[in-house]
Amino acid sequence: MRMRANGVSPRPVCLAALLTVLWVPAAGAGEISLTLDGGYHDLTNSSNSAKAVFGGTSGGPTAGLAAQYGLGESFFVRAGARYFQREGERAFVAAPATPVFRLGHPLTVRIIPAYALIGFRFLKGSSLRPYVGVGGGVTSYNEESDVAGEIFTSTAAKPSGQAVAGLDYGRGTIRFGGEVMYSLVPNTIGLAGVSRVYGEDDVGGLTAVVRLSYVH
Amino acid sequence: MKLISRLAVLAALAAGGAAFYHPLHASDSVRVASLRAPSEPVGTYRPDQVVVQFRTGADDRDVARVTREAGADHVRRGRSGGRYLMHLDAGFTVAEALDRLRGRPEVEYAEPNAIFRASQARRMTPDDRLFSAQWHLELIDAPRTWAIQTGDRSVVVAVLDTGIAYEDFGPYRKAPDFSTTVFVPGFDFINNDAHANDDNFHGTHVSSVIAEATNNGTGAAGLAYGTALMPVKVLDADGFGDTFSIAEGIDFAAANSSVKVINMSLGGGGNSTAISTAVTRAVGRGITVVAAAGNDNEGTISFPANLSNVIAVGAIDGRKQKAPYSNFGSALDVMAPGGDIRRDDTGPGLRPDGRPDGILQQTFDPKTAEETGRYDDFAYFFVVGTSQACPHVAALAALLYRQGITDPVAIQRSIESTAEDLGAPGRDDTFGHGLIRPPVALAGLGLNR
Repeated sequence: MRMRANGVSPRPVCLAALLTVLWVPAAGAGEISLTLDGGYHDLTNSSNSAKAVFGGTSGGPTAGLAAQYGLGESFFVRAGARYFQREGERAFVAAPATPVFRLGHPLTVRIIPAYALIGFRFLKGSSLRPYVGVGGGVTSYNEESDVAGEIFTSTAAKPSGQAVAGLDYGRGTIRFGGEVMYSLVPNTIGLAGVSRVYGEDDVGGLTAVVRLSYVH
Repeated sequence: MKLISRLAVLAALAAGGAAFYHPLHASDSVRVASLRAPSEPVGTYRPDQVVVQFRTGADDRDVARVTREAGADHVRRGRSGGRYLMHLDAGFTVAEALDRLRGRPEVEYAEPNAIFRASQARRMTPDDRLFSAQWHLELIDAPRTWAIQTGDRSVVVAVLDTGIAYEDFGPYRKAPDFSTTVFVPGFDFINNDAHANDDNFHGTHVSSVIAEATNNGTGAAGLAYGTALMPVKVLDADGFGDTFSIAEGIDFAAANSSVKVINMSLGGGGNSTAISTAVTRAVGRGITVVAAAGNDNEGTISFPANLSNVIAVGAIDGRKQKAPYSNFGSALDVMAPGGDIRRDDTGPGLRPDGRPDGILQQTFDPKTAEETGRYDDFAYFFVVGTSQACPHVAALAALLYRQGITDPVAIQRSIESTAEDLGAPGRDDTFGHGLIRPPVALAGLGLNR
């Protein structure tokens, strides 16, 4: 076999680098990842109230960031936050199961959960790894509406609980995935407004997102 | 049950007789107040400006040097010495400018030029000369109401009464302060013709509560002045009507798809199947029916106000006390201003203002009509009664319909749930659910606010 003096052929080097990026086995312990996610949050736990002000749907788009650290091959801890904002209108409803009348006064709802959780990833060694996790944090709620210049606001920051189930794909530095989160944020609303009529106080619910992670 | 053949009209007379006062020309000038909402978002700051306070002793050269080094394109001196507004040169951010300013010995403080929003809700104070005497509209915060909703001609209130001075026809004349009020064709069920002219005074005064032309520099104001009216004459020149005429009038109004509210400032004892079923049909067609509670100071609400699908309206005076004549009882729903002609409590600080506490609106002088047969002697009269309270609620119902609540049950619930609770906590037989609050009803509900 002839040896090339002072170097190695560039083509195999590029191929090896590409394989490294895509197929290097997960480092396992000490693995750090940063994730961007985006999807849909549904105020499942106060759906009647949400539909009343949002005009028939109870959710909207959401986006978030998270940092995750691997504890061994399977366990992980994660800290993250999401942002949800939806526009709607003030409404009137006399009682549950009666018609809702929207009154045209603009209303904005913002929900920002910050959470930490611990999880477990299945199928060690596989490039397709389902996982589950559970944790909690604090969720911030803000509502603002404008009636001919008079501003109505409602704000709250409440403890929340989260449970997640998802799937990650990839073994290199870039991974994709999808996740469903269920959150509980009780005692946030329900003091006034349509949520009082419906007796709903929890702004949590189901969130479905796609995830893009950078793994170090 | 024995049917009542004639129903006594509650012709807005306080116990002890009528009391009319000729108009008081408003000597107060009334400003039209408007508040334009700012276009910038609140809670941010102007991206190219910094407020700088220089210490005593800093002269113009110091100011010029320090601000230039901090990125100023030009500065503006404030009136109260030492404060300057820096306009930044392109490429400099507020953060960079602040970083350069803070810590300078000449600078006491520097901060972003933040944007603030006026927290006062908008109000519309009309320029009608007699508005200042309409304590009843101020009591229910009409100026705030008008900033939210003034009504629309697509929503019609049918006024079943003695007719309205809505046209020039024969001896009848259109009331002067209906100049911009829209009328839809009505009917006269007393004389059986298409001209529902008022030959009593009552219907014109009641209608003016609802839709007297407003902000036109003259006369008085009406609560739902953008709303259209349908004159339906079911009461004669003496203010009397009967079962047949009233039931016919309700059905006539309900047949017009634009009619969303029926006002009946009338009533009496007993019951009527014809009227009850006509009301039920009207409500079934999406019409809110409002009626006066009665002026006998009795513990029973008059018919048809006592029907469960009718909003029964009692009267309060300028002190938010039950008017001495107003009926009360389990069928009472809400209260509205009806006045007390023997009191004078509606000046500033609830002190006397020299005017009787009646409901001030336009109508023609019934004495002139009675003595001369002329129906053109218009003026502005203080009149009291649950007849006057009732159209305040009818007007609110029309405003709510226009705002988006298009179901009579929901309209009633909205009015009741937002009323100011008077008397014993919760609903009671003296005040019902309380005094109507139009701006609160029109604002509706947020998610949690």
